[in-house]
Amino acid sequence: MTRVLLIDDEAPIRRFLRAGFELHGFLVIEAENAAAGLKAATMDKPDLIILDLNLPDLEGSDVLARIRSWSSVPIIVLSIQGSEQEKVRLLRLGADDYVVKPFGISELLARSDAALRRHLRSADRDPVVRAGPLLIDLVSRMVTFDGKRVQLTRKEYLLLHTLATHAGLVVTHQHLIKEIWRGPAENIQYLRVLVRKLRQKVEADPTRPRLIVSESGVGYRLDQGAAGTILSRQESSDELRCA
Amino acid sequence: MLYRECSAFGKAAVMSTLQQRRALRDRTGNQGNRDDQAESSWLSARRTDLIAAKAIPIGATLALVWFATVGLVVVNSFAPFDFVPLIYMLPVVVAATQWGIVPGLVAAFGGAAAADFFFYPPLYSFRLQNAQDVIHLLLFLLVATVTSNLAARLKNEAVALRRREKEIRDLHTFSQGLAACLTSRDLIFAVQDYLSNSLGCRAVLLATRQDDLGPEAAEPVPNKIRRSATEMIAAGAPLAATIVDPDSGRGWLVRVIAPEILGYGAIAVELGHSLPGEGTGAVAQRVASLLEEAMLTLKHLKVKEAIGQATINYRTGMLRDALIGSVSHELRTPLASILGSCSVLNQIPAIRNDRQSQGLVAAIDDQAGQLDNQIRDLLDAARIGANGVQPQLTWADPTDIVSAALKLKERKLALHPVKLELAFDLPLVWVDSVLVEQALGQLLENAAKYSPVGSEIEVSGRCEQDHVVLAVKDQGFGLTADEKGQLGKRSFRSTRHLEGTSGSGLGLWIASIFVAANGGTLRAESPGLNLGTIISMLLPTGSADTPEFASAFND
Repeated sequence: MTRVLLIDDEAPIRRFLRAGFELHGFLVIEAENAAAGLKAATMDKPDLIILDLNLPDLEGSDVLARIRSWSSVPIIVLSIQGSEQEKVRLLRLGADDYVVKPFGISELLARSDAALRRHLRSADRDPVVRAGPLLIDLVSRMVTFDGKRVQLTRKEYLLLHTLATHAGLVVTHQHLIKEIWRGPAENIQYLRVLVRKLRQKVEADPTRPRLIVSESGVGYRLDQGAAGTILSRQESSDELRCA
Repeated sequence: MLYRECSAFGKAAVMSTLQQRRALRDRTGNQGNRDDQAESSWLSARRTDLIAAKAIPIGATLALVWFATVGLVVVNSFAPFDFVPLIYMLPVVVAATQWGIVPGLVAAFGGAAAADFFFYPPLYSFRLQNAQDVIHLLLFLLVATVTSNLAARLKNEAVALRRREKEIRDLHTFSQGLAACLTSRDLIFAVQDYLSNSLGCRAVLLATRQDDLGPEAAEPVPNKIRRSATEMIAAGAPLAATIVDPDSGRGWLVRVIAPEILGYGAIAVELGHSLPGEGTGAVAQRVASLLEEAMLTLKHLKVKEAIGQATINYRTGMLRDALIGSVSHELRTPLASILGSCSVLNQIPAIRNDRQSQGLVAAIDDQAGQLDNQIRDLLDAARIGANGVQPQLTWADPTDIVSAALKLKERKLALHPVKLELAFDLPLVWVDSVLVEQALGQLLENAAKYSPVGSEIEVSGRCEQDHVVLAVKDQGFGLTADEKGQLGKRSFRSTRHLEGTSGSGLGLWIASIFVAANGGTLRAESPGLNLGTIISMLLPTGSADTPEFASAFND
């Protein structure tokens, strides 16, 4: 059973999170402050941590940094509206993703799912990532859309590859630029144009992107929609083999 | 009883001083004799001082001329000396620079007379034999007069310069003292210290109200002086008078301050037993000019108001920030748990399968969502009011802006088909995408709100010169010419919709401010009532076609 640790000082928030996660078969551990949260993170060995930034005893970012100093457990941060720089900072500190309050449980579950999958994939090295009709084989570098092979330039593939290795999770602009141009290119203009070129090849309607989704002021996300769940992982690799 | 010596304050002042003197004499009655005695003795002391002050320099000048004569007689007895008038120039220069023009002239004429008597033939008589000697002595007188005049003027200027320097120094110390003042009491002490320093004698400010004793040093102001000051303040006109305290025999200059400084209506300057050099009129004049200077400085600095205003501004800012912070936390956290709980309820099979429960959950969700939107609007409005909008400008793809805005208002648009007409090759825009998305979302929300259910909403994007135009077109109620003008004003809501739809009227105002902060503009068009509305957003763009840019995509 997947164990999730909820670190949040607001009891009503913990209550609905517990209900939502238990409904989907998670085992829930609660912590009402940073101290209890840090203790539970060591003692209870959770598979996933949901961390609120507004804690009474310690800054959320400090809790994040402390956990990251010894563990690579997936962490989703609950943030507040309108602090894009803060989100980027948290992602850089090692958060896997963030959800902005107020949010629905399905949004949080989707992020949790993506974070867990990325963690598992690095463990069992599954090479295929699926997002709707798009399949990306990270080993053979083959990309198919609706079963048809898609030809990408090297930089386009690099962009898609980086997004695919974080499938379902946000990847910051800085991270992408660094991966693709390998230099200190802070020119986001290049990235915007490259994303547009890639969308023309892998989106059904490039003016209405569904797969490569922009997160304002933060980065891009390869959206897997509802299709990507831990269970469907085996399925998708079978499909790719057939294609 | 009151001795007037302040013609500098004009006729009115003199008149009222005389009346005052009479009035005070009537009231104080039998004390009068003692006061008169004190005053006459003080006055005679002052007169003697003044005569002495004028007589001493002249005596000294004559002594100098005498010394020069003796020296010349001695030298002349050994060898005849041709430059007699030259030696007599020495006392002239010394006297003029030391004591002024009058002693200088005395030295000139004394020197001429002595030269004539002792050195020009016929000797030991004031007559002159040679016409050349007459010319010599006249020339000497002319040169001596001019020299003493120049020397005296030089001396006066040097004295004035030194005094000015001291005044500036005092004023500087004064303003430094003012800066350290926290209460009006400190302020009065600072003014008092300044006046005392500048005048060279003790100056005390006297409160207008008698029960307020004011800030006094170890030595209190004599009762008589205080009483006279109160009488003078009551008389009203700006006037000054010299009053002698019968107990100590000291003279005081009392002057009314108008307008009063922080409740202090008079100033008393202690002149002492006598006053060498300057006349009381000159002191009164200096007090007047110093007071004027002090008040001007106070006015310029506006110390108290400035401190008060700064404190108020600081507290207001703190309060507003605290309010914004507390509203966003205290109100939005419960709403976040309500909305979150609704999302969980929606997934519970028992509720999902029960239409009634599902409807209730949907209603809670919808209402809580609206409340959250309104709180967000209020917070945005408060932030705009507090320090404006600070956009984080960067390159953004209009496609992303439109997608994000559509996603943001997904639920509001659920009852309308949305048609998307985006040009394929729109240039990038230089904006803060978060703000622009929110603004476009507001346009979409308004389009959904003010058009019939099921009607189409069209979102289009095209390039116009150096702008990207994003437009939202609905088939709704449209706008009247008047409404078009009012649109985008804070809290404006058309009277036609006040009852039909909910809203704070802040949304479009916030949107227009967000767009303007990004260097864009909002434009509203409507063919007429019930013919739909098109609201366009013009966003600044830029050219990206550089060789460097193209090479960035080479593999």
